[in-house]
Amino acid sequence: MLELIGLTRRFGDIVALDDVSFSVAEGEMVGFVGPNGAGKTTAMRIALGVLRAHAGEVRWRGRPVDAAVRRRFGYMPEERGLYPKMRVLDHLLYLARLHGMDAPDASAQAARVIEVLGVADRARDRVEALSLGNQQRVQLAAALVHRPEVLVLDEPFSGLDPVGVDVLSGVLREQAAGGVPVVFSSHQLDLVERLCESVVLIDHGRIVAAGRIADLRDADPRRLVRVEVSGAPAAWYVSIPGVRLAEPLPEGAVLELADAGTRPTDVLDAARLAGEVRSFHVVRPTLMQIFRRAVGS
Amino acid sequence: MSDRGVVRLIARREFVERIRDKGFLISTGITLLILVFLIGAGVFLGDPTGFDLGVQGEASRALGEEVADAALALDVEVTVRTLGGRAAAERAVREGEVDAALVDGEVLVRAEPPAQLVSLIRSVSARERALEALEAEGLTPDQALAALDQPDLPVTALEPVSERRREYAAVGFVGVLALYGQLFAYGYWVAAGVVEEKASRVIEVLLSTVRASQLLRGKILGIGVLGLVQLFLIGAIGFGMSQLAGTLRFPAGSAAAIGVVLFWFVLGFFFYATLFAVAGSIVPRQEDLQSTMTPLTILIVASFFIGIAANEDPSSTLAVVASLLPPSSPLVMPSRIVLGEAPLWQILLSVALSVGATLALIPVATRIYERGALKGGKVRLRQALRERGD
Repeated sequence: MLELIGLTRRFGDIVALDDVSFSVAEGEMVGFVGPNGAGKTTAMRIALGVLRAHAGEVRWRGRPVDAAVRRRFGYMPEERGLYPKMRVLDHLLYLARLHGMDAPDASAQAARVIEVLGVADRARDRVEALSLGNQQRVQLAAALVHRPEVLVLDEPFSGLDPVGVDVLSGVLREQAAGGVPVVFSSHQLDLVERLCESVVLIDHGRIVAAGRIADLRDADPRRLVRVEVSGAPAAWYVSIPGVRLAEPLPEGAVLELADAGTRPTDVLDAARLAGEVRSFHVVRPTLMQIFRRAVGS
Repeated sequence: MSDRGVVRLIARREFVERIRDKGFLISTGITLLILVFLIGAGVFLGDPTGFDLGVQGEASRALGEEVADAALALDVEVTVRTLGGRAAAERAVREGEVDAALVDGEVLVRAEPPAQLVSLIRSVSARERALEALEAEGLTPDQALAALDQPDLPVTALEPVSERRREYAAVGFVGVLALYGQLFAYGYWVAAGVVEEKASRVIEVLLSTVRASQLLRGKILGIGVLGLVQLFLIGAIGFGMSQLAGTLRFPAGSAAAIGVVLFWFVLGFFFYATLFAVAGSIVPRQEDLQSTMTPLTILIVASFFIGIAANEDPSSTLAVVASLLPPSSPLVMPSRIVLGEAPLWQILLSVALSVGATLALIPVATRIYERGALKGGKVRLRQALRERGD
């Protein structure tokens, strides 16, 4: 298990992390979610030893993480970066060696990861000659080349096209299935919901919620309905008693049934009167809604 | 993996990636070509040590032979060529086929008389005529010869400049020039390499695996070894070429001089590389590097000029002091050593100061490097030194 325990970090007067604790089990994939500036990158940098914590510690398999252990971690920083002039295969080989692999093992692994990530045909090209999407794949290859025991990825999906997203999702699932704890940050909450069983929600340097997404949903007492209506006047729902807007939609809304006495069919009836109902679902809160509620907005 | 293993891997990347770079190979090739050209040109354009002397008539011919013999004793080669008639002799002189021509007891030259040749002809001719005069006065040829064979006036140089010394000064000059170019170029590479890792943001991937101090040491080591290899290559080819061309008369001395230059490159490089790394650490982009490198540029250029001056006057106070202090010693001490003007204690003191200063600088530079590594903007030096616990 990878554990972050009581991490605190300040930059001048700003508290970037305030007693942040969470853990990722082996084989588990955890989404690390929060707005910009919430402290995700700082926490990940501390986990990788790129930055020091002012308090708290990081443990792996019950033992404090030192440089030798960290060398077996895989990391994809938010600030992507490789030597632009180095050739793809040479670069991966070099990083594998830095992570402590011997030369034959390193070259076998480097060849394997570029195969898996679909950039094998660019092995002899300089990194700078690749498209951004392909550079991103090489970046991921760099995080995977040394068969890491732990994977920490900062916004790995940003900037990827749908095909790239699929490739990366597949690779991460495979890693987790192989027993590697995977933690990644993302703004694409739908993606996190699809990929992860668990999430950690962070805001202003504090963990606001953490655990299995299913548990977080169950803990959310709200009853929600999602209605799509065309031709309805704006805010047609305000007149329904005991109903609050949870999330507006282009044509419709997600509405919360705030009063115990309000039934979903009350909303349906009001929607019918307002316009043509295209769809009507009783839904469970999305990650976004859970997050909004957790940070109290 | 051991600390050394990591540093070696990093150093090897720096070395291999740069030596494979086309730009590097081309510039090394051009440097070597220029070197070969300069040495070659030195052979063809150097002071002529031989003359062509035209002679017309039997008497002139005999005198010409005497001049050629006398010239040999002075290490000058005079080739005698027989010319038919005064008109032919004049033409040969005018067209530069011969440097001078002897015609009926007269010396013909084109414009400026070649001083060495003319004075040789004059003294040989004067001696011949004196010999004839003495014999005419009734002396036997042996007596006449004995009368003329007087020892040369002894000349005592109060501040002798040996031929050897002059050649060593030339070697020293080339050495200082090479050191200057090499320290500058490779120091700049260290700074640019540090900035490249920040600008390309590869630094964060690296720092998740290795320590900043390892990265810095590996970078300096790899670039330094490359600089040393290139300098050695330049020295070896320069030495080999001048051996072939025969422009150097004291090859043992210049081989030692190459050793001295290589040794001081190592000392100077580590000192300056540490400073250049700092210059790179405190700026985020290549464009900002120029401004932080300016103080270093001034330091190296000033040291270079002192080095040139020390090559002329190696025992001046400026030369002695500058050869002891680390910023200038790598560019001043080598020529003082080559010229034989540096006592052993000064050499040892200078080495100790240089090594000591570098060792003292490394932790400071590492600290600034660590602070600057993940900063997107410009780093203030004082702040980088003061900040704790990052």
